[in-house]
Amino acid sequence: MGLHERIHHYPQSDLDGVIPNESELTGGVTIEPGRSYGFFTDTTVCIGCKACEVACKEWNNLPADSIGLTGQSFDNTGMLSANTWRHVAFVEREGDRGVRAAEQAPFQSGWLMMSDVCKHCHNAPCLEACPTGAIFKTEFDTVVVQQDICNGCGYCVPACPFGVVALNEVDGKVHKCTLCYDRLKGGLEPACAKACPTESIQFGELSDLHEKARERIGVLHERGVEQAYLYGTPDGPGATGDLGHLNAFFLLTERPEVYNLPAAPTRASNRVRPSLTTGVATIGALALLAIGLFSSDRGEGR
Amino acid sequence: MTSDRFGGDAARHPLAPTGQVPGTAGRSGAMRRDWAGETDYGRAQLKPAPFSPSVVGGYVFLAGLSGSSALIGALADLTQKRPGERRDVTRRAHYLALLAPTIGSALLVYDLHTPQRFYNMMRVAKKTSPMSIGTWLLLGFSAAAGAGGVAQIATDLEPHWRWPHRIAKVAQVPAALFGAGISTYTAALVSATSTPVWAAAPRATAVRFASSSIATAAAVLAGSSVSSPMRRKLADLLLAALGVEIAATYVVAKQLDGAGIGKARFGRWAWIERIVAGGFGTLLPAALLVGSRLLGRRSAKLDRTAGYLATAGSLAFRIAFLGHGMESASRPEISLRFAQPDNLPTAKR
Repeated sequence: MGLHERIHHYPQSDLDGVIPNESELTGGVTIEPGRSYGFFTDTTVCIGCKACEVACKEWNNLPADSIGLTGQSFDNTGMLSANTWRHVAFVEREGDRGVRAAEQAPFQSGWLMMSDVCKHCHNAPCLEACPTGAIFKTEFDTVVVQQDICNGCGYCVPACPFGVVALNEVDGKVHKCTLCYDRLKGGLEPACAKACPTESIQFGELSDLHEKARERIGVLHERGVEQAYLYGTPDGPGATGDLGHLNAFFLLTERPEVYNLPAAPTRASNRVRPSLTTGVATIGALALLAIGLFSSDRGEGR
Repeated sequence: MTSDRFGGDAARHPLAPTGQVPGTAGRSGAMRRDWAGETDYGRAQLKPAPFSPSVVGGYVFLAGLSGSSALIGALADLTQKRPGERRDVTRRAHYLALLAPTIGSALLVYDLHTPQRFYNMMRVAKKTSPMSIGTWLLLGFSAAAGAGGVAQIATDLEPHWRWPHRIAKVAQVPAALFGAGISTYTAALVSATSTPVWAAAPRATAVRFASSSIATAAAVLAGSSVSSPMRRKLADLLLAALGVEIAATYVVAKQLDGAGIGKARFGRWAWIERIVAGGFGTLLPAALLVGSRLLGRRSAKLDRTAGYLATAGSLAFRIAFLGHGMESASRPEISLRFAQPDNLPTAKR
């Protein structure tokens, strides 16, 4: 990506305020309400630096979750949570049963690294499950929890097929990635994408990202990385079962499960109707039986 | 670069080379073979619902008991010709119907993590959210059951007043309809999630929840003040509901096996569900009821014992089923297996 010409308007290191439409300078994206935005996370260029995790925590004022060691590769974050909205998974490929191999193939990374995040599903199960309307679709086509409305019922937590939304027991609300809703409103690209040094996390308009991703897949396949595929693009894995598509989608080179992603998640709200109709039918059938029993004179003389 | 950890085939061909993917390519044999059970260091892939099984399970039980009592009470009132036959049943039904609006609602608010904002449930009405559907069903039921309860109290205080009878007669109709709703929407509440055990068999689970509700109401309505012919009819209804529940329980187990997550049926909560709720809560009372009929002379004592067991069993079932689901969500080998393409709805496969 070449430098934007407006970059020359800001030669000084101290700025008086936010650069208007800064995202044009940092990400080549103009942020306008009414369009769909998302993340394209290309795991093949992730170097596991965790700058995204740090940038996210810094911008969103999120406390640390734990400062222990998991003993599982270099991943001490473990999982997405109420306080961790980006999680870099380290999957160690070499070795067997937790024992690292003594030798590595030349020019190959021994790890799969993947910066996981809320998928901002098109038909988001958390949003559909939310009984208060606290979770909503923004003007940028992203999914956000309104903290002043959430009453901590926690129903969005089991609704999410990716295990993303999480409840904070301290403040009693659920939290997840907002795709930096506040930054988007101010013309800034999300903190994680801005911080990513390898463009593993790309922020942009969804149609542009899809195109970039397809190009990238083509390049990789040409180079012999035949196993590369997209997770979360329309009709792809991760976007199954009526979820539509995922606004945050991924380029992966292993089975989804290896990254702790479901191969074929489903839309939870599709089960409302079958459950309700069957339940009411059962009640109705037993009620008819009750009417029959109550109306009969059988047994009254005994 | 083949790694033993992921199994030979999986490492070489994670997916079809063109980027073809589960869900689009259909359930080709290769796709099913490919997932060799890998997980991310055995970490949970889903987050279990942050519910307390006993608090929410207690609510589900009370909603079933109150809702179905209102329904059966109304049916008894409308079908019984002799006032003496129906009076005690409807009286008990009116009081039982007050449990869900009072204790049940309190349990629901208690389980919120920001309970002072409980009223935000009334900001919206959403048909995609069983919790929202349930909020409005419970509100409607509370209004109708509350009117019926007030009328019953008035009748008990001043039996010669006529207006309470009229109120009770009118209020019992919406109470019965809303009651049918709160007896069964709780099944949709659990099934419309991504939690494997809850989501794997939505229809059969709904049958279980609904029949369990009717069973508890039939058992608790048959109090000693109720006439013995009526008690026998309620015992017949209890037996029928238990029969339906046992069949549905079997179907749920078969469907969990069919979804490839049969392993989920052997956790701690699953055993509680099987033994306490299934064995002592449905099979034993059903056996007692059948036994008392086979003996020729129906024993009121056996019927009553069966009623106690079925009621306790229903409560145990609601609590254990919630725990069972949460357990399954924490196990990645269950949730990742459940989210394989062969479990997608047929039309979308």
